Amino acid sequence: DDLRWKMPVAFATNLPGLGSPAAWVADNLTTASNGSIQVRVYEPGKLVPPFDILQSVSDGKVSAGYTWIGYDQGKVPAVPLFAAVPFGMKPWAYIGWYYYGGGHELLQETYHNKGFKVHAQLCGIIGPETAGWYANKIESLDDYKGMKIRFAGLGGKVLEKLGASVTMMPGGELYQALEKGTIDATEFSMPAIDQILGFDQVVKYNLFPGWHQQFTAQYMLINQDEWDGASDSQKALVEASCTAATTLGLAEGEYKNGAVLAGFQENGIHADQIPTDVLKKLKAVTQEVLEEEAAKDADFKRAYESQQEFLKTYKVWDERAYLPADL
Amino acid sequence: MTVSDQDSLHTPHASVSDADELLHHHTELPTTRISQWLDSILTLIGKGASWLWVVVTGVIIWAVVGRYVFGQGSVLLEEVQWHLAGTGWLLGLAYTLVVDDHVRVDVLHERWSLKTQAWIELLGLLFLLLPFLGLAVYEMVPYALSSWEIGETSQAPAGLSHRWVLKAVLALSFALIIIAALSRLLKVTALLFGFPKPIRIETPDNKKEDAS
Amino acid sequence: MELEAVFVIGMFLTFGVLLMTGFPVAWVLGGTAVIWTLIGVIAVEDFGANLWFDYPSSMGLVPERIWGIVESDTLVALPMFIFMGIMLDQSGVAERLMKSMVKLFGNVRGGFAVTVIVIGVLLAATTGIIGASVVLLGMLSLPVMMENKYDKGFAVGTACATGTLGILIPPSIMLVLMADRLAVPEASVGDLFMGAFLPGLMLGAMYVGYALIRPLLQPNVAPVPQGLEKVSWSVVWDVAKAVLPTAALILGVLGSIFAGVATPTEASGVGAFGALILALAAGRLNLKVLSSSLQQTTRTAAFIFAIFLGATAFSVVLRGLGGDTVIEEALLGLPFGPYGVILTILFAVFLLGFFLDWVEITLIILPLVAPVVQQLGFDLVWFTIMFAMCLQTSFLTPPVGFALFYIKGVAPPEIKVTDIYRGVVPFIIIQLVALAIVFLIPEIATWLPSVAYE
Ligand code: NA
Ligand code: NA
Repeated sequence: DDLRWKMPVAFATNLPGLGSPAAWVADNLTTASNGSIQVRVYEPGKLVPPFDILQSVSDGKVSAGYTWIGYDQGKVPAVPLFAAVPFGMKPWAYIGWYYYGGGHELLQETYHNKGFKVHAQLCGIIGPETAGWYANKIESLDDYKGMKIRFAGLGGKVLEKLGASVTMMPGGELYQALEKGTIDATEFSMPAIDQILGFDQVVKYNLFPGWHQQFTAQYMLINQDEWDGASDSQKALVEASCTAATTLGLAEGEYKNGAVLAGFQENGIHADQIPTDVLKKLKAVTQEVLEEEAAKDADFKRAYESQQEFLKTYKVWDERAYLPADL
Repeated sequence: MTVSDQDSLHTPHASVSDADELLHHHTELPTTRISQWLDSILTLIGKGASWLWVVVTGVIIWAVVGRYVFGQGSVLLEEVQWHLAGTGWLLGLAYTLVVDDHVRVDVLHERWSLKTQAWIELLGLLFLLLPFLGLAVYEMVPYALSSWEIGETSQAPAGLSHRWVLKAVLALSFALIIIAALSRLLKVTALLFGFPKPIRIETPDNKKEDAS
Repeated sequence: MELEAVFVIGMFLTFGVLLMTGFPVAWVLGGTAVIWTLIGVIAVEDFGANLWFDYPSSMGLVPERIWGIVESDTLVALPMFIFMGIMLDQSGVAERLMKSMVKLFGNVRGGFAVTVIVIGVLLAATTGIIGASVVLLGMLSLPVMMENKYDKGFAVGTACATGTLGILIPPSIMLVLMADRLAVPEASVGDLFMGAFLPGLMLGAMYVGYALIRPLLQPNVAPVPQGLEKVSWSVVWDVAKAVLPTAALILGVLGSIFAGVATPTEASGVGAFGALILALAAGRLNLKVLSSSLQQTTRTAAFIFAIFLGATAFSVVLRGLGGDTVIEEALLGLPFGPYGVILTILFAVFLLGFFLDWVEITLIILPLVAPVVQQLGFDLVWFTIMFAMCLQTSFLTPPVGFALFYIKGVAPPEIKVTDIYRGVVPFIIIQLVALAIVFLIPEIATWLPSVAYE
């Protein structure tokens, strides 16, 4: 049968890499299937509030959705491992694990175990976020003590353990809060997106590396019944389009970020590195947090161990094969 | 002609609630025994929930002082704010229906006879309000249940757990509006058909008592 | 005409007609959504209409959408600003301000009107709701102006129009609501507050200009009172003392945002706390006053949020029936060019303002037109401020003009509805002139947000 999918998205489709793949997939599916799959994109909040995309797809209220699944951490504790992990893999390492290391299957099982009736398809990935925008430079671990920072997800928990004052204020209030000093720092996304929010106008330090989010993955969630009812050719087309969107999204971010960052630097933004010894401590605390989460949820534990297992051998390759960036 | 403080400026103290009395032209329905009983419960809930505004004010001040003076930001406090504020207005919805404070466009309404107004009220309750509330509750119950089943928590690791509580309050608040609507329906049928037995005509005076 | 367009027009018509029955607005919105869900489903299921419409993705999504409203952190500001307005009213601070200021401006022709406007602007900077300021200004000023033989229309129009500045000059629940619906960083609550500031002051200045010029042309509109105390230092001192609490509250709310102490949302709580302290300091706070103020807050917040609930159902059904596309195509298809589109939208909002309240217009129309405006490349702050000015005007336009209702309620009996209508006409014209000025000189709205954050 012909498929007609309403697809609410979590990010505006004008956001490079983060939202743009959704629009591309929708168009591509309609064109490539010669109309046998029609997808209509609904911008954030137009149909379903972004945080309820999983729920409404699973309930069959909409056939599909496109989201950063980390938003569902409160319902499915394991999703951060599939969405963005502090001190996690580089994007290409992540897709290595996802496509070949059993990640895709683990994700389906994770949703299934929590009673959600969805088929999840990796459908976009972007490279590192920045470690955020700061009023002051970070030189030692002590600089986090009492720092008022907006930080989402597991990374926020890590900073809280280090004595930071972590908040989750809404995206729309960040710029002003940062400007007025209501907060000292915020993380958001990668340079091409942060630029749209104008953080470079209000603070001088854009710190790197994005330890809390080396990759950010988006998925197309499809209602399970809808997926089961699709023909093999329709399924193949969805899989192929999403795989292509993953490549295109990554490409778009990589293509744009450098130029944006260079522009920031020209305007006097310090794109500094967080010192290595600070990163080491952050990594140690991250480990603690991840183990705590693994102890709380069986699916988290399984996915975490699977990733660790893969990284053991991947590290041998990763450390040797790539040219150092400063060469 | 002189201006004297005593005469012209000693107006009674202006009050916003005065304006509301004037803005909302209440249809003066009789009440019934059941309605009286239901309304008193809903009013009690609404008035009780009103105290949450003091609590929310306190939590905001606590959050602001904590962050600014003591450098203690808290995702938890931020979530407590909208949990309490949400509970406040959700539980106030039925109470507001009881005191008939929901805004009406009464350009024509106020010129119609009480009987016409009651017919509009009857049809509106039956074909607009109750179907809307019915569908909403029908969808809200499974929504709250699924949150409870999976033990939903905040998406922020440092946030509040037990999301199902507020989702249940949401469903409950709509159920309460249904009760308020049914109570009002009885008052309308009491006026139009004398069934159930009408008790008294609400005058603006005792209405005001109810409201404050 | 396409089926979608027929359905969209049908839905708005249903809403409009049912609205005139006088059944509560919120439930008319919700009920209309249910009726058109039924029509949509029948059209698709039984008549094979080629629509992307079904129950689950329209009415079925109501809990998720309502939860999105409950979950919104910024909307906490709404009940808080209401609470603050009601407490301020209870504190009697404004009453004192009026008494002292009359002595300062009373000797000028039109001086009472100027007093009302100055106080109105100060009040506007503390409260975000209209009911409080219109009632307050009306009760405080109309008896004085009547006694001094001011023209009834002139007097009542001034009090009424000035009262509506509260919704434009920050803080304002209308701007909070708009930022929430727009949900884009370039038009945050802070941006809109800054953006509305100068247009609000400009309007205040234009009102003052009118209050001074009209009596020059028509002296009998505002006779100069006889036997008033001469302006002395002690009068100035009285005014200064009376201004102090209001100034402190303005400082508390806007200052806490600027000093980086609080976000705009939190500032609403700071304001509520401040007003509570003022009422306490004035010795007007007791358990009875507090509990009735709290109950009033609940009822006001509940009636506004109820409209949210109805509107969210209405919007999702309208969207399901293709409403977004129909309206977007209609607007983009207008043969006037981009600026013509803006003017058309604003004109439509002005017309809608005769019949609808700001809440419905903000909730239903703003999200429909904002993407079009953005697509045309306009500054969203500029557009939203003009949108807000149109809505502020809607309070003054009959038949559904809430400021008119409020003022009628507190006006002395000799002031007739016709006096009110006659009195607000010049102010509606001033509103339109101000709107034209902001349209031609966007910097009035966009300059402050741009420098505030540099
Ligand atoms: Na205001
Ligand atoms: Na109007």
